[in-house]
Amino acid sequence: MSNNSNANYLKREKKRKLSRFVEYKTATFATGITFAIFLVILGGSFDFATQSFQMGSVTLSLVFLVSSIIQGLVSYKIQSDILKHGDIKDSTRKIGFVMLLFLLTANIFIAIAAFTLVKKDKGIEYTLSIYALLTSLIVFMISALNLFKEYVANTFMLGMGLLAFLSMFYLAVMVLVHKFVHHKDVDKRMKWVGYLLILSAISGNVFALILGLIIITKIKRAGDEISVEWIEVIRRLFRNNMAIIGMLVVTVLLSISLCSYLTFDYSIATDNNYSALLQPPSIEYPFGTDDYGRCVFTRIVFGARISLAVGIATTVLPIIVGGALGAVSGFYGGKTDNIIMRLLDVLYAVPGILLAIAIVAAFGTSTSNLIIALSIGSVPTYARTVRASVMGLAGSEFVEAAKACGAKDHIIIFNHIIPNSLAPIIVRATLSIGGAVLSTSSLSYLGLGVEPHVPEWGNILKAGSTYLETNPYLAIYPGLAIILLVLAFNYMGDGLRDALDPKLK
Amino acid sequence: MKKRILAALLCASMLLTATACNVKTKDDVQGSSSNNSSNSSNSSNNTTTAASGEKPTIKILTSSSSETDANVIRDQLIKAGFNVELNLQPDYSSTTAQEAAGNYDVYITGWTTVTGNPDYAVKSLFKTGGDYNKSPIADPEIDALIEKAGTETPEQYKETYKEFELKLVEENAYLVPLYTNYKAQAVNTSILVPESVHLSKSRSLKWEDIEFVDSAKNATDPLLMTQTNGTLTSLDPIKGNDGSINMLNTNMYVRLVNLTDDDQVTSDDSLSYNHVIADGNKEYYFILRDDIGFAKVENGAAVDSGVRVGAEDVVFALNRAKDPNSVPEHRTYTLHESMDNIEIVTDLAALDSAKVSGSDQTIRAALEAGLPAPISELVAEKTAANNASGKYQVVKITTKAPFPQVLNYLAHQSAGIVSKEQVESINTWDVASYDRNTDIGYGDQTVVTEGSTFDNHLMCSGPYIMLYKNDYEAVFQANPAYRPGTDAAARIKNVTVKFIKDSDSALSALRSGEIYALYSVPETKYETVEKEANLKLTKIPSNGVQYMTFNQKDGSKMNNVTLRKAVLAAINQEEISAVYSGQKLPAYSTLGQLVDTGNKLVFEQGKSQQLIEQYLAETAGK
Repeated sequence: MSNNSNANYLKREKKRKLSRFVEYKTATFATGITFAIFLVILGGSFDFATQSFQMGSVTLSLVFLVSSIIQGLVSYKIQSDILKHGDIKDSTRKIGFVMLLFLLTANIFIAIAAFTLVKKDKGIEYTLSIYALLTSLIVFMISALNLFKEYVANTFMLGMGLLAFLSMFYLAVMVLVHKFVHHKDVDKRMKWVGYLLILSAISGNVFALILGLIIITKIKRAGDEISVEWIEVIRRLFRNNMAIIGMLVVTVLLSISLCSYLTFDYSIATDNNYSALLQPPSIEYPFGTDDYGRCVFTRIVFGARISLAVGIATTVLPIIVGGALGAVSGFYGGKTDNIIMRLLDVLYAVPGILLAIAIVAAFGTSTSNLIIALSIGSVPTYARTVRASVMGLAGSEFVEAAKACGAKDHIIIFNHIIPNSLAPIIVRATLSIGGAVLSTSSLSYLGLGVEPHVPEWGNILKAGSTYLETNPYLAIYPGLAIILLVLAFNYMGDGLRDALDPKLK
Repeated sequence: MKKRILAALLCASMLLTATACNVKTKDDVQGSSSNNSSNSSNSSNNTTTAASGEKPTIKILTSSSSETDANVIRDQLIKAGFNVELNLQPDYSSTTAQEAAGNYDVYITGWTTVTGNPDYAVKSLFKTGGDYNKSPIADPEIDALIEKAGTETPEQYKETYKEFELKLVEENAYLVPLYTNYKAQAVNTSILVPESVHLSKSRSLKWEDIEFVDSAKNATDPLLMTQTNGTLTSLDPIKGNDGSINMLNTNMYVRLVNLTDDDQVTSDDSLSYNHVIADGNKEYYFILRDDIGFAKVENGAAVDSGVRVGAEDVVFALNRAKDPNSVPEHRTYTLHESMDNIEIVTDLAALDSAKVSGSDQTIRAALEAGLPAPISELVAEKTAANNASGKYQVVKITTKAPFPQVLNYLAHQSAGIVSKEQVESINTWDVASYDRNTDIGYGDQTVVTEGSTFDNHLMCSGPYIMLYKNDYEAVFQANPAYRPGTDAAARIKNVTVKFIKDSDSALSALRSGEIYALYSVPETKYETVEKEANLKLTKIPSNGVQYMTFNQKDGSKMNNVTLRKAVLAAINQEEISAVYSGQKLPAYSTLGQLVDTGNKLVFEQGKSQQLIEQYLAETAGK
């Protein structure tokens, strides 16, 4: 009995020791994911029709198998270091530089693990710079696939040049952060790097934006004793592996949809090419071509822009409208509350997707109609969320104090109450963007979303559904894209909820 | 260490940049290959149109079922240098509403010549004031050619129709032909004898010949079929001519003549033994059978009503078919308005004196060919007819003008023979004051729909009769009085038609054995069907043609012939067919494959751009 509990205790102790090291966590995570990718590619390489393996895919899967084994060995080394010495040896950390080479096999998970391994004392800034660099590298690699096309966009070289420059800039930032940022001490000269990072965020690189903001905030508040709340939230968020992978996916998609203005040619996505109908995936058409000879890969890239734009717009619009209504009704209560909330209850009673279908059917198919249709349905949910937290805050001391000082109602609502009730809204918003993306795609799939030639993911999936048996890749890739984006938003939302939860501080 | 990585990355990106320098940009490609028709990217900013700085905008109207066509045409027009707006309507009725409102420039639509004769394929569409001439086209030359061809025999009208087509398309660009459809049918060969399931160009699927592989099942198991539409226009043959009732009415009512699989007029499996065209091409004689009786429904089963189908019913049915005021919502009188008089012939001498068209044979001799007994007497009353003892009924139809194609119209389901007594006993209301909410007409779908309104009053002369229907299926049973004991009688006793709206679901139903035959298979699924071991795909060129018309209402810019020609020149039929896996045939007008006129629409690169230039120059001064 006691022996058993002792063994359990040792096990827990070992686990606790290991879990303190983020290097160990990312390393084992990378091993697992790489092995899973190996299995998926191997499974995909089996051709059921001919009962044989395709050699190209098998070779690729073997690359991942080898990567997984090597990464597994590294994880084991890290584990034994931690258990023996209580820390990771410098020689082990050096292996990380070698592991960086796996970036050439497009294995970002091993790359993340390697970047995490090489630096001993990692601040949030270093982690952010890793992800900023990875984002721009991934976008660069995806855009580079255009080289195999018959032709590229006129601004392709400019775009690729900028991306290459950005990658080098982020690499430089990584080195600078390593040298000049130590916890709260940030070298004043880093200010300019911070501004440049924020500027570089026009490429859609959210990590760069956050990094820039953190650096500048830290410089401004150099003397302060207390740590900045939102930076703490980000730090907690980055402890959650899945949330960060989700954020990376979202950022890459956001970045690629912005960079595609330069590096991708819209006509490849929308112009029919009658000499290349229903081509299977190849290096020129990575996801094949559809029944009109349009490159599915390019369509999915442009579809990301629409899905993200509609997803974000249909979340922001109801937040503004619903948030304002909820705040007013929660703050004033009584009759105002009753009137507003009962009206919203009526709206709540109508199923959202049905309402959207009715609106689109009545006003015609266009992106703006789609956004309006999907927004209206989710106004009541946000109004309810905001109302609940506003009601809780309306009686709190700082509001009483503001009232006593003679502050006007709108000042109290917008300056005191709303900033304090944002947390649940942010969480709800990230979680519901995924839902909005799904609704957009469902409506397009039903032929009610956007015009048929517009490369929206639901539209692409619809075209593919006809060829499910003969050309399944037409439906698989847009389907995967939708799954990936929705999952990414959901993991990110989950992570944010944990990070924002005051109980888990 | 970091510096080394930095250097490596720098090298890698420089290498990429170096290789990328060999990459062609969009402008490079466009400059070098503007004459390459397979290139997808030419000329949306072509120099010819860019020079004039503006592009004519074309608004395309169609229903979402023609989405594929709309997509390709949008693409082709954009490449030719037009701006394109798409107006996709969810269904047929909202599309026609938009068409009536003139809310379009070009309208993509289709036409199927269900009667299999060329006159029907052109008259109501292009003749001034025609039923379906919605553009509208008003051209005396076109009218004259249609009229002329109508009076001619097939050898003669070939040239006339050729001239007509050139006027319609090449000279005036009133119409842009897109393609001719295939008609495809898939049969489950492990359940049905594949040869027994016919596929005809114009005629709808004939059920009475179909047999089970296991012949013991013929009397017990239902034949499971499908059709798209479950809302039936009307089971009165003259009140409908659409996909919801064509197959059903074809099998419920017998006609004077039929069409063979390749659209030849025949008396086989019809009410007549023989039919004859008299000299002058204005008089048509039909000698009737005495072994077909009307079926009715009693206690949920088809029974012999004891009433024979005879010449009186023929006269009644055809007179009401040609009279626009015989019923409210008469949808088929234009098919039959060429008929002037329908009468029962009782004077045997009249048959002896008249001659067959283009021959010295008498009508009587021609009618007598292959009868059970020679004609001894012609009777007026159907009850008096007795074919075995030589007593026959003969019907004579006179047309207003010589018009041999009238036989094709008589083979159409709308010329189905109904019971005079039954229809008169139900349609007791006055046509002028008919109220669709209270007055129930013969064949109204409410009387066969399960529920409180059910009161099956059908009396059917064809091989089958409908027992009842609901939202999911319609159930039929063989007519026991339809040529009993002969090969012509229905093989399978029970037929169930399931209503499946979506063609993909219908195909799934076929593959899972839920239905046994599928009447129309989508082009993209031919390969799938051919791969299945127990399915057999049959396809023939159909009389269905997909085409575009222009909005030529007053004030529309499409009244300009140059602009119409520019649209016509932008269309490449081969590319459209390619999108349908090559499963479309070329077309030049709604005549499709009916007449081999030899006309072809040839696509010329750059011709459309020139015409747009010309159009812009023409309109610039105004």
